[in-house]
Amino acid sequence: MSGSHHHDHHDGHHHDHGKPHSHPHSPPAPDDDDGYDRYEVLLQTAIRELLDEKGIISAEDLHRQIDYQDSLTPAIGGKIVAKAWTEPDFKKKLLADPLKAINESFELDITTPLDLVVLENTPQVHNVVVCTLCSCYPRMLLGIPPAWYKSLDYRSRVVNEPRKVLAEFGTVLPDDVEVRVSDSTADLRFLVLPNRPAGTDGMTQVQLAALVSRDSMIGTAVVPAPKK
Amino acid sequence: MNAIPPRTGHALAPGATVRILKQPPEAHCRTPYYLRGAKGEIAEVRGLFRDPSLLAFHKPGLPMRILYRVKFKQVDVWPNYAGSKNDTVVADIYEHWIEAIAGETK
Amino acid sequence: MERKVNDLGGQPAGPVCLDEHPSTLHEKRVDALQKILSGSKLGVFTSDAMRRAIESNTAEDYKGMLYYDKWIRAVRDLIIEQQLVTAKEIDDRVAELRVRLAKTGKL
Repeated sequence: MSGSHHHDHHDGHHHDHGKPHSHPHSPPAPDDDDGYDRYEVLLQTAIRELLDEKGIISAEDLHRQIDYQDSLTPAIGGKIVAKAWTEPDFKKKLLADPLKAINESFELDITTPLDLVVLENTPQVHNVVVCTLCSCYPRMLLGIPPAWYKSLDYRSRVVNEPRKVLAEFGTVLPDDVEVRVSDSTADLRFLVLPNRPAGTDGMTQVQLAALVSRDSMIGTAVVPAPKK
Repeated sequence: MNAIPPRTGHALAPGATVRILKQPPEAHCRTPYYLRGAKGEIAEVRGLFRDPSLLAFHKPGLPMRILYRVKFKQVDVWPNYAGSKNDTVVADIYEHWIEAIAGETK
Repeated sequence: MERKVNDLGGQPAGPVCLDEHPSTLHEKRVDALQKILSGSKLGVFTSDAMRRAIESNTAEDYKGMLYYDKWIRAVRDLIIEQQLVTAKEIDDRVAELRVRLAKTGKL
């Protein structure tokens, strides 16, 4: 819901990787909901009201859609990864026909993305996903994409200097590993199946799913071995 | 994927060496600039899709086009690629932006 | 113009900012409006049309505008294009909302 504090994007923030940097191209952070006087907030309100009055989209329709959106989180992807890690048969089906395997195993009825592709990380290949042309993302499995995925910087640089970009996320791959960037230019949507880390033998699917980060399913992170 | 019936007399098979055409973009274009003119290979045949350049203008997007996943070596795409020579980029490109390069082998 | 404003692959750019914020209600509403309008039930416009509308910005606007601002402006363009509403209806309502806001402090 609302209530995020207004924050200036350009100072006072810190990053886990501790590297200070400037934001030459970033637009300022969005206002929170108190920014009523912004044109685009007025525009959204105007459109919402007009479409409701015209019987096209009711307030209820909108609430239902927002609630549904809120229910989509990376936890869904995490469950899929954990199951693939522990059940070789499911993993095989997942790689062959991801949507079918997911719908059958989780008793879901996901109809979109119709063309889901699961990209398996191996010791030889590390996958990372981008949409250089816009922000295509497997929202059904991961929720809405993070701001960085939609940023001009990520979209520009991960195709031509993926290792540098991955390093900014704290992810470094040896040279003999192929870093394979998938540019989501059409209707296909991609979920990276990260490598299962060492030190996870005997863990339940619930425990494993908790280890799987959103970023590891985009490919900017790996799943680290759990701390003892 | 199921076999795709050939539409234009040929369908490109996985492994085929191809080049992305260098031509002006459509009014709505899904072939990235950085790949135009690049040499790659067909990684996967993904089937028939409506043409997004037409869907973008409320048209039905017909005739449907074959969509291919095309893989490129990064060193073939970027003149000064600084990563590993093993690195690749894969993009989803429609058939009418691809030409087979005859006589070249991997 | 060979390279469109949105065609960013390989363009010079800066470090990736990793800051995240929870979606605001405004952002969620924009997302939901766009999703319903482009969904199979209403089918007012396609996602391709949304992209095309966003790509029609100048390079400066494309780079400078907030993500969801580009979206709501594209929704506006497309619902006018598809004749669900007129530009005048939208402009008049926005003006009304400014008055409402000034009078009551909220929308």
